[in-house]
Amino acid sequence: MSSRMSFFERTLPRLLAWLLLAFLFLPILVVIPVSLTEKSYLSLPDGAISFQHYASLLKWRAGWLPSILTSIGIATASSILVTIIASAFAIGAWVHAGRWPNLLRLILLSPLIVPPIIYAVGMVRLWSRFGLLDTWIGVTIVHVILSMPLAVLAIGASLANLDPRLVQAARSLGARPPTVFFRVILPNILPGVGAGAVLAFITSWDEITVTLFITSRHVVTLPRKIWTSIADAVDPALAAIAAVMLIVTVIALLLRMLVWDRRNPARR
Amino acid sequence: MVIKVTNFERWAFMLTVPAGVVAIGLYVFPILQVLALSVTEPSFGFGNYVSMFQNPAIGRVVRTTLIVSAVTTLFTIVFSYIVAFALVQMRPKVRRFAMFLVMLPFWISVLVRAFSWITILRRNGVLNSALVETGVISEPLELIYNQLGVIIGMVHYMMPFAILLLYANLTDIDQRIIQAARSLGARAPTIFWRIWLPLSKPGLAIATLFVVIFSFGFLVTPAILGAGRVLMIAEYISVQISSTLRWGVATALSTTMLICVAAAIALAMRHPAFRSAFGGPQK
Repeated sequence: MSSRMSFFERTLPRLLAWLLLAFLFLPILVVIPVSLTEKSYLSLPDGAISFQHYASLLKWRAGWLPSILTSIGIATASSILVTIIASAFAIGAWVHAGRWPNLLRLILLSPLIVPPIIYAVGMVRLWSRFGLLDTWIGVTIVHVILSMPLAVLAIGASLANLDPRLVQAARSLGARPPTVFFRVILPNILPGVGAGAVLAFITSWDEITVTLFITSRHVVTLPRKIWTSIADAVDPALAAIAAVMLIVTVIALLLRMLVWDRRNPARR
Repeated sequence: MVIKVTNFERWAFMLTVPAGVVAIGLYVFPILQVLALSVTEPSFGFGNYVSMFQNPAIGRVVRTTLIVSAVTTLFTIVFSYIVAFALVQMRPKVRRFAMFLVMLPFWISVLVRAFSWITILRRNGVLNSALVETGVISEPLELIYNQLGVIIGMVHYMMPFAILLLYANLTDIDQRIIQAARSLGARAPTIFWRIWLPLSKPGLAIATLFVVIFSFGFLVTPAILGAGRVLMIAEYISVQISSTLRWGVATALSTTMLICVAAAIALAMRHPAFRSAFGGPQK
C-alpha cells in the first residue's frame, strides 16, 4: 500500500516531468540527422551521410549567406542604438524617478506583451508613408523598438543594485552631472549594459513577425529567408541552417552557464 | 545648492528624452494610427466593427483562435506546472541539467522549432514513418496542417515561458511552511493541495495571462503548422493587409485584439502580484 502511494506521489510526477522535458528538448534535435541526409529532399539519412547541404549554405547565390550577413548587420546596428538609448533612459529614470519616467517605462516595456501583429499593421502604414518599407533603416528602427524592453529590464536590474550613496558622494565632491553619469554610474552598471546589448542583438536576430510585413525583396533577414523557404518548399538546406543555429545556441548557453558558475560559485 | 540640484535633475530628465521620442513617435503613434484607421477606413464610422460581427468568415477565425488559445493555455499551464514543481524538488546538479533542457528551446528561434515539428509530424515525417515501419499503424496519421499540429507547436513554444514564470514563483514559497506542515503530520497530497497549490496562485495567474495573450496574437507557429487550414486572427489580419488590402477590417480586428489585451492586463493589475511584476521598482 505505502509503496503504491509513493509511486503516485513521487515517482509518477517526476516521470511525467522528465517526459515533458524530453518533449521540450528532443524534437529540436531532429534537424541534425535531417541536415546530414544525402538526398535532395527532406528525409533522414539512409545509410550514407553527407555535408552537401551545409556546403550549399556557403554558396552566395543560394541566398543564405547574404541573409546571415543582413541579419548580423541589422542586429548589430539596432543593438548599439538600443543600448545607448536604453542606458540613457534607465540612468535618467533611476536618478529622477517620477511620473514621466514611470509612464515611459511602461510604454517601453509594452512590446513584450502587446501582440506584434498590431504593431506590424501600424508600421506598414507609417513606413509606406515615409518610403521606408523594405529598407535597412526601416527594419533597424523597428528592431530598436522591439529590443527596448529586454535592454531596459537588464540595465534596470543592474541599476537596482547600485548604491545611491555613490552618486551622492560624487556630487558632494563637486562632480558635474556628465561626470556623475559617465564616470560614476556607467562604469558600475557595465555588466547590465552588456547583457542588454546581447539581449537586444538576439531579439533583432530572431525577429520575424513585424519584419515579415515591412520587408519584401530588398532586405531579407535570416528569419525572413527561413520563413519563405518553409513556405516554398522543404529543402534540406533549411535543416542545415537550423542545425547551425541549434549548435550555436547550445554553445552560447553552455558558455553562459559556465561563466555564471564562476561568478556565483555558491549556487553550484 | 538648490540650483545645482535642479541642474542635475534636468540632466537626468534629458537622458530620458531620446527614449521618449522614439517610444512615442515610433511605437505609440503607429498604434494610435491603427485605432484611428479602424473608424475612418474606408469611411467614417463604426462600419468595420459592424461588418466584423456580421461576417461569418471572421466569426470562424475568431472561434478557431479562441479554441486553439484555450486548449493551448490549458495544456501549457498543466504541463509547465508539473515541470516547475519537479524542478523545485530536484537536487541542484540535476536541476541545472533540467534547466538547460528548458532554456535551450527558450532561446531557439521560433522558426527552427516550427520547422522541427514539420519534419517530425508530416505525413511522411519522422514520427509517421517510425509508426508505420514498426507496424503500430498502417496509414500515416494526420498530425499537422490541422488544429492538432498547431496546438502541439504552440504548447511547445509557450512551455519554457510558463515554466520559468512558475518556477520563479515556486522558489519564492517559504520552505519552512512545508516543513511545518510535514512536522504536524500532513501527508504529501494534503501538502500539495492545501499549501503548494494555493501559494502558486500568483504564478499560475501570471503564466496564464502571458500564455493567453501570446496565443491570442500568435502569427508564426499557427501560420506554418496550420498552413492556411487553421486560420487564426493574426494570420487573417496579415492576409487582409498583404493580399486583399482591406485596411478597415485589419485595423478593426487589431483594435479589438488590443482592447482585449488591455482589458486582460487591467483586470490582472488589480492583483498586487502583477503590479510588482510590471510596475517596476515599488517604492
